[in-house]
Amino acid sequence: MQTELADFARQHADGPEAADILRACVHCGFCTATCPTYQLFGDELDGPRGRIYLIKQVLEGQAPTERTQLHLDRCLTCRACETACPSGVKYGRLVEIGRELLAERRPRGWRAQAARRALAWVLTGGAFAPLLAVGRLLRPVLPMRLGAQLAPARAAGTWPRTPRARRMLLLAGCVQPALAPNINAATARVFDALGIEVLTVARAGCCGALRHHLDQQAAAREDMRRNIDAWWPAIEAGAEAILVNASGCGTMLKDYGVLLRADPAYAAKAARISALARDLCEVLPPLVAALAPRLGPAVSTRVVFHPPCSLQHGQQLRGVVEGMLVALGAQVLPFADAPLCCGSAGTYSLLQPAVSATLRERKLAALTAPRPEVILSANIGCLTQLSGGATPVQHWIEWLDERLR
Amino acid sequence: MESAVVESRPEVLAALARILPREALLVEAEDTRPYECDGLTLIRQRPMAVALPQTEAQVVAVLRLCHRLGVPVVPRGAGTGLAGSALPDAGGVLLSMARFNRILAVDRRACTATVEPGVRNLAISEAAAPQGLYYAPDPSSQVACTIGGNVAENSGGVHCLKYGLTLHNVLRVRGYTVDGEAVEFGSLAPDAAGLDLLALVVGSEGMLAVTMEVTVRLVPRPELARCIMASFADVAQAGDAVAALIAAGIIPAGLEMLDQAASRLVEPFAHAGYDLEAAAVLLCESDGTPEEVEEEIAHMSQVLRAAQATRIQVSRDEAERLKFWAGRKNAFPAAGRAAPAYYCTDGTIPRKHIGQMLKSIQAMERRYGLSCPNVFHAGDGNLHPLVLFDDSDPDSVARAEAFGAEILEESVRLGGTVTGEHGVGMEKLNQMCSQFDRPTLDAFAAVKRAFDPAGTLNPGKVIPSLHRCAEYGRQRVVGGALPHPELPRF
Amino acid sequence: MDATLGQLVEQVRGATQARTPLRIRAGGSKDFYGNPSRGQILDPRPWQGIEAYDPSELVVTARAGTRLAELEAVLAAQGQMLAFEPPHFGPDATVGGCVAAGLAGPRRASAGYTHGGLRDFLLGARLLDGRGQLLRFGGTVMKNVAGYDVARVLAGSLGVLGLLVDVSLKVLPLPRAEVTLRFELGEAQALERLCDWQGRPLPVSGSAWCQGALTVRLSGAEAALAAARGRLGGEAIAAADASAFWQDLREHQLEWFAGELPLWRLAVPPQAPPLALVGAQLIEWGGGQRWLRSAQAPARIREEAARLGGHATLFRGGDRAGGVFSPLNPALLAIHRRLKQAFDPAGIFNPDRLVQGL
Ligand SMILES: Cc1cc2nc3c(=O)[nH]c(=O)nc-3n(C[C@H](O)[C@H](O)[C@H](O)COP(=O)(O)OP(=O)(O)OC[C@H]3O[C@@H](n4cnc5c(N)ncnc54)[C@H](O)[C@@H]3O)c2cc1C
Ligand code: SF4
Ligand code: SF4
Repeated sequence: MQTELADFARQHADGPEAADILRACVHCGFCTATCPTYQLFGDELDGPRGRIYLIKQVLEGQAPTERTQLHLDRCLTCRACETACPSGVKYGRLVEIGRELLAERRPRGWRAQAARRALAWVLTGGAFAPLLAVGRLLRPVLPMRLGAQLAPARAAGTWPRTPRARRMLLLAGCVQPALAPNINAATARVFDALGIEVLTVARAGCCGALRHHLDQQAAAREDMRRNIDAWWPAIEAGAEAILVNASGCGTMLKDYGVLLRADPAYAAKAARISALARDLCEVLPPLVAALAPRLGPAVSTRVVFHPPCSLQHGQQLRGVVEGMLVALGAQVLPFADAPLCCGSAGTYSLLQPAVSATLRERKLAALTAPRPEVILSANIGCLTQLSGGATPVQHWIEWLDERLR
Repeated sequence: MESAVVESRPEVLAALARILPREALLVEAEDTRPYECDGLTLIRQRPMAVALPQTEAQVVAVLRLCHRLGVPVVPRGAGTGLAGSALPDAGGVLLSMARFNRILAVDRRACTATVEPGVRNLAISEAAAPQGLYYAPDPSSQVACTIGGNVAENSGGVHCLKYGLTLHNVLRVRGYTVDGEAVEFGSLAPDAAGLDLLALVVGSEGMLAVTMEVTVRLVPRPELARCIMASFADVAQAGDAVAALIAAGIIPAGLEMLDQAASRLVEPFAHAGYDLEAAAVLLCESDGTPEEVEEEIAHMSQVLRAAQATRIQVSRDEAERLKFWAGRKNAFPAAGRAAPAYYCTDGTIPRKHIGQMLKSIQAMERRYGLSCPNVFHAGDGNLHPLVLFDDSDPDSVARAEAFGAEILEESVRLGGTVTGEHGVGMEKLNQMCSQFDRPTLDAFAAVKRAFDPAGTLNPGKVIPSLHRCAEYGRQRVVGGALPHPELPRF
Repeated sequence: MDATLGQLVEQVRGATQARTPLRIRAGGSKDFYGNPSRGQILDPRPWQGIEAYDPSELVVTARAGTRLAELEAVLAAQGQMLAFEPPHFGPDATVGGCVAAGLAGPRRASAGYTHGGLRDFLLGARLLDGRGQLLRFGGTVMKNVAGYDVARVLAGSLGVLGLLVDVSLKVLPLPRAEVTLRFELGEAQALERLCDWQGRPLPVSGSAWCQGALTVRLSGAEAALAAARGRLGGEAIAAADASAFWQDLREHQLEWFAGELPLWRLAVPPQAPPLALVGAQLIEWGGGQRWLRSAQAPARIREEAARLGGHATLFRGGDRAGGVFSPLNPALLAIHRRLKQAFDPAGIFNPDRLVQGL
């Protein structure tokens, strides 16, 4: 699509990249079909093709109003549109740039800014765990849904401490250790069973995605640099990979290289981090054969796997987890509309609660239609979003961990 | 068919605001610009307003109001049309039917589905799948395009050689004429009394009535389908192979061609496994009972081999078959990887001229300095040359338009038509002057008036004005060849 | 312009000027059909012959006055056919009359694309309108959406919009093999069975139920027929008897069609239950076309057809003065009037024949 960048956009560091992405879009509309918000609203402006147009208008220098803001805010950044796009339009990147430019051109009101800052602080800083504890205490008096989602955490169990020859770093995450401490521990146990030692580094924290998606790009880059510094010694010492068991964070890590490319001090290191980042499902499949003899029978064999958007669209890893589960004896049930987002989308569920709730309902209906015993997924956001219904929800690594003998 | 706007803009908008909820009416440029074109981005126009009704009563109210005030109404589905049929009218309301996306009924006994107009083509087949049925017409855009748009364009698909176009698979259309009067065309019985108005409404590009509900015929999913991918060293040979298959008494379930440039375009996205060394590949499908398919695949392979196919590969399983088609179906937008824009034309010619036409297009590529991959419904003789150009370069745009126009003129010259399935819209108005004489064009205008006497439903499309044809006639020499094809003319 | 065609044009122009009605009539094989009409005879038979036929294009273009039997013989010689199996109703039936009547035979209700009536196979037509102009709609290619599909509207128009001059029809290869099966079944069971088959991938290409017997034809590759026969059961009928049966059904020569009682044609959704009407029935098209011999009041018969979601035509015999087709609702009638006005402003062609007063 033809685009005439306005001066400010041409001079902006990301302007030319955005223009290139726009040029690739041929306005065919294939992407609208897989867009969750287009399905809900039926308005071009709430679909990828319309959002691309809105971003184009910003780049071309037209003054955006709160409506452009609204439509971009409603985007889940699930990137289903990217998977659907035959023309290879990198929508995820475009909307990031679009949001950044929009924030510059049309700063949010102070209330909205403050709320976003507070949210970022609560979720990534030290305050989340204590608040969560309070929430859990208050569960009986909270509204149904929120209460349901604050179900008690599964106990983490023991963390294997045996030193191994092969070592991999693990991104511990920010909200996950508080919400579901068992996921990291289960990861460590499964890898330990395969003779791989999993390390976490205390100083590493949030991957930066939370702040990145709350219009705090500068702060997000701070998160990234802090993590790089924290991991660097272990990487120099030969850690093979940086494992990620929350696909949302994995997508972010894989973008470090792009996001810090203009930072001379960190560009090279960031690229190395991106190259080392691996979702669990990129590492485990070749080792499945070795794992099989160590496994007992599964508690639940009829499973559905909800592929997080960050996994299937963000990292384009489709069918890998499912294939592995089948190889490990699970009956993976098909369900409708697998490419659609569950509505969690990081902080989206907090900022757009109505849309998020509708998408959750639809997703749960689709997932439970084939009557599974358990819903498996691969990202903390989705796990939280989908929990609280009649069917239990687990990270697939936990399902695997339960079978370790 | 100029329409007179009787009321001024603010009054019309105020009146619309009284009948539509806030989120169902877009009026600011910021909101209406993303609606300024459909899948054809060469022609753009912002509407006065976009209406996004959610109830049938709102549709009727918008129609009545606009009719009373003399305001043009342009219906829109998913906006994937490639001819600008859903191009907004500057002084009119763009009536989006996208929110009507419910499947009302799938009837296994009757083998029908009744759906709202905004339901996506593919969603119908998905809903019918548990009954072992599907909706046969499968335009490449089927993931996104709506049945309302399909009805308006009489859309075809890669399987319509055997299973027919939209027209052959729609039983009944319920809707409204431009004045908000309820009408029903066709019926659930094999035919309806009186003239076959359904045949007029299907393919009328939203100019005769607004579709509110469609009942389509569903067909049983064949037990088995397998697809042959045949390679050819020369495009003309591939063209001849198409005629040879038909002459052998075979009606393949699908018969499509991609030339080398086209297969190289899609392969990176679709990983379809196309033979990238072949000058052209033919996809040739057989469906039916396993015995029947086996017999037919053997017969087809034999004919293809006799027609100089250099390689024949038969899909081994359903996954591979779907891959073959995925490449084909994603071909147009994949052009976006190779160039900022593509211009897809839609001429249909007698099958026997395919080879010759492809050669002519190759010559045009050199003349216009633009490349043009070809991917098309070979079995129907329906071409889709994709002229690749740069839409930020006016010279490139002009060359692309002239290139497209010349292909269409050539289609008419070879005894074909300027559009097989995408419609005339705004895009092919000029070529309509070449294909039809004035009395016939006037007859089209009279048909339009029979449904829409005031001419406010999707005005200005399909039927070129006398003036336009006169202008166009001055530009071209009789016989279709442009005197100076290198000059921009639009 | 060819002199023969020129004469037809002249006759039309003259009639328009004088506002004298014209009754288009060629072989007269379908004189019995439609509402009574009036006017001077306009006979297109001098304008006859096949204009173009290229078997590998699957299209034939013929002049309106061409004998239908001649056209079908030419196609058969190339192993092709008119897949809608039009009834001739007499040796003199012409191509133009066939298209104008829009009737189809047993093969109308086949699986796949052959599933279609005459209009589904009509690709293009040339029309001589009421102004004496020759208009060309559609064309000779399979897919064509340039302009409104006026050609298809001419199918079954009974000549009210003008004189068909030439038509281009899609043709299909003759089936590689056919087999006819018979089942002893009552009406309700037969309808149920047909309904079930429709939803399954079976190569059914004709069905007829009457007097306790359901006859079904299958067409396609040998392998497909063998598989389908295995699934359907029934008793196979000798090939010669079978082809005589389908031919007689198509031409209304079966014993069932003899007699004087009015013959009604009810077009209903195929899955509709048995008719609540008195009279003998012959059911075709998987249940979609129900022939009825009945002296019941026309209003009652129309009411029943409408109740089931269809319409009824007094096909042959009976009192035709009250109109033989189901009446149109006002919105559609208004469109019909304006279309008539557009093509035939002087109202000379076949007055009343399709719609009374039109
Ligand atoms: C990549 C690509 C591939 C394509 N492949 C094919 C193909 O293989 N075959 C094919 O036939 N087409 C194809 N198309 C064209 C297009 O998808 C079809 O024309 C489709 O039917 C348009 O549907 P839509 O819902 O997008 O309608 P729109 O583009 O929104 O509108 C099309 C027309 O329909 C009218 N309309 C829409 N809804 C209504 C309604 N409810 N009532 C009245 N009028 C209405 C509009 O006024 C307009 O005239 C392709 C397009 C693209 C972009
Ligand atoms: S990222 Fe998701 S929500 Fe956003 S436009 Fe794409 S598909 Fe829609
Ligand atoms: S699918 Fe890709 S090319 Fe098509 S409209 Fe969407 S982003 Fe643009």
